[in-house]
Formats: sequence, C-alpha cells, structure tokens
Amino acid sequence: MSKGILLVAHGSHLHANSSLPVYEHARRLRERGLYDEVRTGFWKEEPSLSRALEGCDADDVTVVPVFISSGYFTEKVIPREMGLNGRVTQIDGKTVRYANPIGAHPALARVILQRAEEAGATGEEALAVLGHGTPRNPQSERNVFQQAEYVAATGRFPEVTTVFIDQEPNMRDVFSLVKEETVVMVPLFVADGWHVGETIPEDMALDGVETRRGGRKLRYAGAVGTHPSMVDVIEELVEEAAKW
Amino acid sequence: MSGAGEACLQLGELTVEFAGDEAIIHGPSTGGEEREVECEPTALVAWTRFDDLGRYRPLRGARTMRHDWRTRCPKERLEETLDAVYPLALHHITDWKNGKLRLVGLDEVLSRQSGRYELSSKLAQEARDAAAEVLCARCVKVPVWRGERPERDDIPCPEPCSVLVSLCREAAIWEEGLPEPVEPEASVQFADFETAGNEIREAYLRARLAATSDKGGS
Repeated sequence: MSKGILLVAHGSHLHANSSLPVYEHARRLRERGLYDEVRTGFWKEEPSLSRALEGCDADDVTVVPVFISSGYFTEKVIPREMGLNGRVTQIDGKTVRYANPIGAHPALARVILQRAEEAGATGEEALAVLGHGTPRNPQSERNVFQQAEYVAATGRFPEVTTVFIDQEPNMRDVFSLVKEETVVMVPLFVADGWHVGETIPEDMALDGVETRRGGRKLRYAGAVGTHPSMVDVIEELVEEAAKW
Repeated sequence: MSGAGEACLQLGELTVEFAGDEAIIHGPSTGGEEREVECEPTALVAWTRFDDLGRYRPLRGARTMRHDWRTRCPKERLEETLDAVYPLALHHITDWKNGKLRLVGLDEVLSRQSGRYELSSKLAQEARDAAAEVLCARCVKVPVWRGERPERDDIPCPEPCSVLVSLCREAAIWEEGLPEPVEPEASVQFADFETAGNEIREAYLRARLAATSDKGGS
C-alpha cells in the first residue's frame, strides 16, 4: 500500500512568503524518501483544499494541517473543503487520515527550544512564547499556552511566559511579565511573513536580533514554523495518524 | 525558443519540447536569451510565483508568467515538473477527456463560504458573472465550471478559485455604491482588490458601470 502526505496550509493572495515554509517542508520530506508522495494544498493558493486530494495517487494519505492554532480552519474550513468527516475518511478508494495540527504536538516544544538557542539563549534567560491570539476566537490561544507549558516542563529556562500580538498578555508588556534581565522571544508562527518580519518588529520597535531597553535585553528568534526540524514534527504526526 | 526538439506540446504559457530522454520546458518568450532554471519542484514553484516585475502571482494560471526562461528535466519527471507550475492541470485535462472531471459552480462555492468570505454569497448573479468574466479572462485555464469548453490541451478549470471568491467578496462591498474606477497601477498586486488601482478591480468597476449605464439608457 502506497503512503502519502498532504501538507495543507493557509497560504496568501498577497504575501508570497507565507507558504514558502510549506514548500520547503514538502521538499525535505521528499528528500527523506520515507513516503511515496508528498504534496501540498492551500486555502488561498493552488492547489486548493477542495481539489488537493485529486493529485494524490497514494492509497493512504495523511493530511497534516500546517497551522499553529486548532480551531476555525482545522475544525471547520479544512474538513468542509476536503470532505473529511473525522480522523479517517474513505474518499474515492483512498484512506485519508486527518492529523492534528502541528501547533498541537508536544514535539513542537523542541523546535521552540532550538529557535531560542539559535537566538543566543543559554538557559539563564526568560523565554517568551509569542502567539498571534485574537479576542474573536478563544480557541486561538490554546496551543500557544500549551506549547509554553511543554517548554516550561523541560526546566531549561527559569521563567517561561506567553505573549500575544492581538490579545492579552500583549507582547509589548513582556518585560513586566518576567524578572530575568534578558528575555528570549520565540514567535510561534508558521512563516517568517508579514507578522514575524514586519508587524512585530515595528510594533515593538525592535533593533534586530537584540534590543536593549532600560538595562534589559530582548532577543528575537526566528519563526518556529520555518525551522528545518519541523519535518520531524510532521513525521511524528503522520506516524501517530497511521495507528488510527 | 532555442534547441532542436523532437516534438512540442503546449500547456498554458509553457512550451515543452523533447530531446532524447530529456524534456525542455520553456516559459513564454519575448525572443530574448533564455535563463536556465532549476527543475526541482520547489525551486520551480519559487521561480514561477513571481512575474517579470517581481509581483507575486497567487493565481498560478494568470497570464503573467515570467518570460525567457527554460528548465530541463528527465522525461519521467515531466509530469511532476509541470505540476509545480500548473498544479493539477494534467490531472484535470485527463479527467476532462475521460468525462470524469468533477465540476463545482460559483453559486455552490460562494454558498459554502463562512467567516470573512460569507459576504461573497450576497453578490447578485449579474455581478458574479462580471467578476468571473474579468478574472477568468486573465487566466490560461478554461472555466468549464461555467460551461466553457476547452480545445485540445487547454487546461480545464473545474471550480472557481479562491481568488475569484475574494474578488466576489470585495465586489459585494463595491456593489453597495459602485466607486468610480481609476487608472490601473502596475505597483498594485494582482489580488489586492481592496486597493484602488488594482487592475482587476478597475476592470470590474468599469464593466459594472458600463452595464449600469446601458440599462439606464435603454
């Protein structure tokens, strides 16, 4: 029986960078050669979510949502557009498994730690996991808090906190939330797109990788979702879905 | 186009020729020297996602592909390579020829929208038609979902794309009081319909104002 992976993501009509990591993850997964096919599908790009399965030749396809949050897209839009009705759906003779979103997997905490280390963290700083959040959807915050808990449980940092762009606790208050002199802020985003590359640095008046404010330091890491080791998280999600 | 190929086929704006075990895929030509592009799918996606002016092409079938480039791949990888440029195009051509292509119309697509795009379902029929005519005219695919028929190896489009849904959403807002069209500006992105000067926005507004004035005069 042939096995395939279909990475599904939001994509964008305006920001080309938003989907680049998804293509990169697909390329890396193909290079590993563990699956007969690795394809992509998007809400805002092509192939669309509603047609993406048509391109899959494998008998057993695992759909992996490259989304940080569980909620509107993962629970409503993707199942509706792709005709999925649970964890496993039979479609045109194929077994289609619907994995959890990447943002819900405990292994993502490892990538957060890697990003923090790459930003110069030594384990003596406070770590802030930065999510989007929105007051319009309470579910949006859930995985961000969960990932911060996973990171805290490793004991690698004396303090771990959670901040958001669009809800409280806000990222601009990050220094008031922790005691350590230096904060390493890791954006829990899928791409180095508009938010990570533009709105966050602008809103926080960041000076680059390191920003000094009143005797304290903020180190700004790269987006978690663009890290090469994200493919390990994807593979774990696929392996788990294979047991269903 | 350069090279002494054995045979050619056309797919959208691409021309494919074969030389021995190799397929050579050419982008649209201005007659200038062709740049060699890597055929690895992710690299090819990255290359074809931008037009000659470096603008992002969210609609992969848009008639805005970069000119004067080529890529070479082994024949057995041609399908995968073409799929990187026109996702699912070969599947849809085959399914159309076999009478198996699943068609979904604009009404159905708009009726299933939720959240931000739910507004698109409010758009009246004649405005939906205008939006589809304006956008689909700028795409190499033939919208079989609205009854058009492809010829030979045209790429059939079985279902309205997300760009059309987005245009219908904005059109539903414009229809509340059609703004005056302005001159298109090349700096405005292809699908940035909220910004005055977007070529598709202005074409839609001109078409709708013309239709309205025709009705008023008749």
